[in-house]
Amino acid sequence: MIERRRLSSWASDAGSPAERKIIFSRQGAVVRHESVPMYWRNIPQYYRLVAKRCRQCGAVYFPPALRCRCGSAELEDYDELPHEGRLVEYTVLYQVGTDFLKQKPLIVGLVELNGGVRAVGQIVDAQPDRLAPGTRVELVFRRVAVDGRHGLIMYGYKFRPVQP
Amino acid sequence: MTRVGVVGWGVYIPRYRIRTEEVARLWGDDPQRIADVYLVNEKSVEALDEDAVTIAVEAARIALRRAGVSRERVGAVYVGTESKPYAVKPIASILIDALGLRNDILAVDMEFACKAGGDGLAAIAGLVEAGRVEYGIAVGVDTSQGEPGEHLDYSASSGGAALVVGRDGVAAELEAMYAYASDTPDFWRRDGSPYPMHGEGFTGEPAYFRHIIEAVRGLVSKYGYKPADFTYAVFHQPNGRFPLRVASALGIPMDRVKPGIVVTHIGNTYNASALIGFARVLEMAKPGDRILLVTYGSGAGSDAFVFRVTDVITERQRAPAPAVEHMLRNKVYVDYAQYLKMRKMIKLLE
Amino acid sequence: MTGVYVVGAALRPAGRHYGENIDDMAAEVLGKALADAGVDIEALFVASSTTELVNRQQILGAYILESLGIDKIPAFRVECGDGSGGAAVTAAYYALASGEYGCVAVVGVDKPNDVLSNQQVDVYAAVMDTYFERYFGFTPLSHAALMAKMYLKRHGYKYEDLAAWAVLMHERGAENPYAYFRRRVKLEDVLSSEYTSEPLRLYDVAPLVDGAAAAVLCRDRRDGPRIMSVAVATNAVPFNMRSEYDTLYSLREAAARAYKAAGISPRDVAAAEVHDSLSIFGVLAVEGLGLAERGGALAALKRGGLRVNMSGGLKARGNALGATGVYQLVEVAWQLVGREFKRADGRYGVVHSMGGVDRTSAVIVVGL
Repeated sequence: MIERRRLSSWASDAGSPAERKIIFSRQGAVVRHESVPMYWRNIPQYYRLVAKRCRQCGAVYFPPALRCRCGSAELEDYDELPHEGRLVEYTVLYQVGTDFLKQKPLIVGLVELNGGVRAVGQIVDAQPDRLAPGTRVELVFRRVAVDGRHGLIMYGYKFRPVQP
Repeated sequence: MTRVGVVGWGVYIPRYRIRTEEVARLWGDDPQRIADVYLVNEKSVEALDEDAVTIAVEAARIALRRAGVSRERVGAVYVGTESKPYAVKPIASILIDALGLRNDILAVDMEFACKAGGDGLAAIAGLVEAGRVEYGIAVGVDTSQGEPGEHLDYSASSGGAALVVGRDGVAAELEAMYAYASDTPDFWRRDGSPYPMHGEGFTGEPAYFRHIIEAVRGLVSKYGYKPADFTYAVFHQPNGRFPLRVASALGIPMDRVKPGIVVTHIGNTYNASALIGFARVLEMAKPGDRILLVTYGSGAGSDAFVFRVTDVITERQRAPAPAVEHMLRNKVYVDYAQYLKMRKMIKLLE
Repeated sequence: MTGVYVVGAALRPAGRHYGENIDDMAAEVLGKALADAGVDIEALFVASSTTELVNRQQILGAYILESLGIDKIPAFRVECGDGSGGAAVTAAYYALASGEYGCVAVVGVDKPNDVLSNQQVDVYAAVMDTYFERYFGFTPLSHAALMAKMYLKRHGYKYEDLAAWAVLMHERGAENPYAYFRRRVKLEDVLSSEYTSEPLRLYDVAPLVDGAAAAVLCRDRRDGPRIMSVAVATNAVPFNMRSEYDTLYSLREAAARAYKAAGISPRDVAAAEVHDSLSIFGVLAVEGLGLAERGGALAALKRGGLRVNMSGGLKARGNALGATGVYQLVEVAWQLVGREFKRADGRYGVVHSMGGVDRTSAVIVVGL
């Protein structure tokens, strides 16, 4: 016999009293899951830091803006921002929202990308005590939020320390 | 006219590792015996926020950077995996947007157990040879499944490899290829099952060994190679023993097989297994070297490829992109509890 | 010159009011404020941040008026996140100053305790940029922590200096009958509390509380403290692209305008309520209002005599989100006349109400 053991059904124990209790307590008015079109339309920014750059003065906007501070409305896609930079400051966040409960603590870093544009991103694959302002970081592509067991998996940029 | 071949490669291995002895500790096995049987010392583990998609993106980004190919020139992206986060929803289309590729290209997910990544290479090589695309990216990636406490728990690991295939700037020309497949049920995973079933010893002689040996023998006899022609031979690596044994059966000296064996350090990355070994060999190859690459997928089939390394290899080896050695070296060990959490094997209410 | 006066007010003690619906809780405090003022109102301004997210209620004003049986008058909702209160007072002020109405009421209400703690984080995170901050898991707390770290480093302070804020707020809250926390704490309690987002600890984070506050404002009816000026300013620069992280830009702008319009200077301020949803924001608000020099708020705190947040601030009274700014207005007005609070030593008070991480600030100058 090749099939040595039977796999139990993974759905069979759904609806146990403990599970029902937790599911009940999670039912609130709070809108928990991301809108799919919202995620979809921001994919260029989430996946590869597509910014806007002013055709007149060269100023770069991330998140993208519609009008430059110089007054020009001629902004073009800047696809894409540099993937390397340095940490300006960071914090370790312990109080997190529902989508991040199983990922806590989150390291949240303000990063200055090469060229000067800054972005705030989660810092992953890192030990907080080895981080400091100036730490070199690189962009990585990671899961950001997962809409339960059946919903959409949403991806986006994060940063991690560059290993020598 | 230059031949189609590999223009650039990229490997991504998650940073986390679990030692064989830690797995053995949990399941009451003798760690020494396990290590001896599988020749696997530790295996890679993806972070909680990683999956086959994120690993594929990282490997492909590195491959494109190494190839120096602009993303507008990529005409096909093929992803081979058996760890799709979705049963229905492709990875290849995510790669288009993550890499910023054109939208009017072929984007395909493929499945043939552990062989699909290599099949992408074969498919793209054909498209390039036919002049239908200029460059294509073939990705083999997995966050391999293995039931906790079962044999596969000692080897199933996570990683990805991407190859940029084209005709311009080729670092390793594709000289020959040969395929062999049959209905041999050595390993499978049913729709909805979290872990594969396998036939233990049955995965060996009738499956892995028969198909690889037939593919290589077919290749050798059709194209007239001798075992001594191959500077390096890289095989699919479900464990450390199988590639050594199959090389021995094919009369290939051990010193030509060992450089391409990565399973000892990172475990079996399924669709990335042979391709990561191939990439590692490319990083040490010299112009004129000949590399035999043999994939294997359960169920069962094997593709054998022969590459001839060109002068371009030196430039590619020096390209500013992370090397396989870098990925192998940078690691953080986790215990079994962290491993379960990272691999999403703790049942959560969602 | 026309004047707008605070002629009546009422507060609901901040807490966990599990037993009441949001409209009833607001109606109860509004009814008390109306009785306190003894006037009829011609319009209602509702300040609420989370009625949709927490209570699935819109047109909240209509349901509040239904509870009180007040017919026909218009009810407007003003939403600026946790800065809704200050913005609603500002809107009410303008409605009176325009000459359209003679008396209006502002009621602020929110019930964050109707949802679980993690959902409160989700709800509060809606004041962040939903696409580029909230999506990635960032909250007011994470960004306040980044600012705190940079502020402390830049101005040569230790965390212990910042921890003194919570100690002072708890001391003040102990004297405020409407406060959620009415107990003093020691510096060691703050220093030994858990990290919430380092360097910030539990005591640096104001508790989210259910709360309701109401004020009745009338034009040209000299029957209470006068609203001398109002000003609201927005910071249009995303957090990641700001040039300075140790200051509240929206507050500095609003404060300059409000002081100028009121014809007073920070030296004239005898009572101030600032938005310390996170301790560092309270510190930066003290500086933004000119009550301490740039980088000097924690030194002033150490020296003592900082007359800010006699209510205990958001830290001790509680962060009632959209209701907070209305609480603050009432607290400052009452401090100026010595009602419920010790009488302030001067004629002018100032309110700072902020939405998000320095996204919008309202400054209201109140005088006798």
